[in-house]
Amino acid sequence: MRYLARRAIWTVLALLGVSVLIFLLVRLLPGNIVDIIAGTEGQLSKAQRTAVLREFGLDKPLPVQYVLWLGNMLQGNFGWSFRTGQPVASLIASRLPITIELALLAVLGVTVVGIPLGVAASVSRSLRVRTLVQIIGVLGLSMPNFWIAILLIIGASMLFGWLPAIIYVSPWADPWVNLQQMFLPVLSLAFGLSAVVVRMTRSSMLEVLGQDFIRVARAKGLSSRRVLLRHTLRNALVPIVTVIGLQTGFLLGGVVITEQIFGLPGLGWTLLNGVYQRDYPVVQGTVMIFAVTFVLINLLVDLLYTYLDPRIRYE
Amino acid sequence: MSDVAPTLATLPRGLDAAQAGRARFLRALSGTPVALIGAALVGVVVLVAAAAPALAPYAPAAQIAKPLLPPGPQYLLGTDEFGRDELSRLIWGARVSLYVGGLAVLIALGLGATAGVLAGYFGGWVDDVTMRIMDVVLALPALVLAIAITSVLGPTLTNAMLAIGLVYAPTFARVARGPTLTVVRVPYIEAARSLGASNWRTIARHVLPNVAAPILVQATVSFSTAILTEAALSFLGLGTQPPTASWGLMLSAARQYMLIDPWIAVLPGSAIALTVLGFNLLGDGLRDLLDPRMRAL
Repeated sequence: MRYLARRAIWTVLALLGVSVLIFLLVRLLPGNIVDIIAGTEGQLSKAQRTAVLREFGLDKPLPVQYVLWLGNMLQGNFGWSFRTGQPVASLIASRLPITIELALLAVLGVTVVGIPLGVAASVSRSLRVRTLVQIIGVLGLSMPNFWIAILLIIGASMLFGWLPAIIYVSPWADPWVNLQQMFLPVLSLAFGLSAVVVRMTRSSMLEVLGQDFIRVARAKGLSSRRVLLRHTLRNALVPIVTVIGLQTGFLLGGVVITEQIFGLPGLGWTLLNGVYQRDYPVVQGTVMIFAVTFVLINLLVDLLYTYLDPRIRYE
Repeated sequence: MSDVAPTLATLPRGLDAAQAGRARFLRALSGTPVALIGAALVGVVVLVAAAAPALAPYAPAAQIAKPLLPPGPQYLLGTDEFGRDELSRLIWGARVSLYVGGLAVLIALGLGATAGVLAGYFGGWVDDVTMRIMDVVLALPALVLAIAITSVLGPTLTNAMLAIGLVYAPTFARVARGPTLTVVRVPYIEAARSLGASNWRTIARHVLPNVAAPILVQATVSFSTAILTEAALSFLGLGTQPPTASWGLMLSAARQYMLIDPWIAVLPGSAIALTVLGFNLLGDGLRDLLDPRMRAL
């Protein structure tokens, strides 16, 4: 419990640090923020400038601005888009589910494909299987996921004459069309991730397989299937989960590009559009949500350890 | 986000010693096929980048032919959407990738390794403050932070390089801090200090040689990450700007025409993948040689 409390406090502090970083970053903007808000370069009178600054609270000293911004954010107010005037919070709330669906499906795909492949590679004596796994591992790490996405689109169109629908359909409206749309993006994200997971599963399984209690389990006459799944995999899971957790950063980064390529209006798409339109409240808000997600997933992975391996007790 | 910075239980002897050690190291390197393939790939890319003006048959930005020509005898790899020679652009693109990747790694290494060594050497509040700052940077997905930084600084090649360097600095800080913490407890450091060696001298003469190996491995691996990140930023229009030939930018332009002419999407991607593969393999091989405990990975 003490560990948990410390961990939670540290998580909050890290997020505070991130908020300071994001706040300062946007204040570093070259050029005048008034021109960006008004969308006019140097065509406002002095009085108009002051009015715009006051309206957005930009005439106050920096620390005051920061505290106001943070306070508003804690109350769920992320400000208003410079471009559309829409509240950023509701924009994020409508876009976040798409990103969550994409990321969850990718992790699911990686788990369903990567772990069995890694297990197979660990017990296989066939040189072909081991080489195959090694090749997948190395390729997955080296091919940029946006290139994989492009190749998948080309492949789907040339081989099957099929392309995913361009306008996003939510799973509540039509789950089947939605899954079709998600298929290629998920595949492109999962490919790189599985490479790491397959490699880690294999080496972690091999390490556990060499231990005495596995020999005991075999000697007891347990079926090799039971030994493999109940005794070996269970004990090999901690490093595998760690590696999946560590990859979340890459996954969240990959989501930005994948959403852009496939036209999925998720959080990454929103971030990029904010960047392209210099809509800084949107940029600040989405980056903050990315940080919160990232930090929470890391916390979750930490908690998962105690469940997977009861010997791990945080003190 | 636990502290998993590798500590070197066995300090690499191959790098401390002079000539003899270096020769032994090179011999060991040549005995590792994986590292050798990696070194070969990296070597080819470096050569191509260095000899770009001599190798490229045409100027990379010259619009000289019909657009979207398939590979053929005159334009070996065809032409892009503006009728520019694809091969020449790929060759000049190697320069951009290595230039941005290399300088970004140097920035990350300079900032990160300095911070990590100082944190590990002085400990106490220096350590706390430095590593907490690094943790804040690590609390953001790397690409998201790089996008945010380039969006504020403005989308140029130099800013992309700066952003990549800043984003990956914490990794170097962690890698450098671990071995430093181990080394400062070793008696010869105490001996050096009690003989009146300054902090500066102790770090330069006794600490740095011991942390050089893991930093070198990290630099090689980071090179591939930096190249990938530059490609991603350019792909998103936040890095290298047209008409400069950058692989990421070429891929981004190819998106519009990939169904008419798949070549222009396949080629730049292959160039990125092969280069990244080279640095990954070289990094893996170096790690095997320098840090035997990581071999299982």
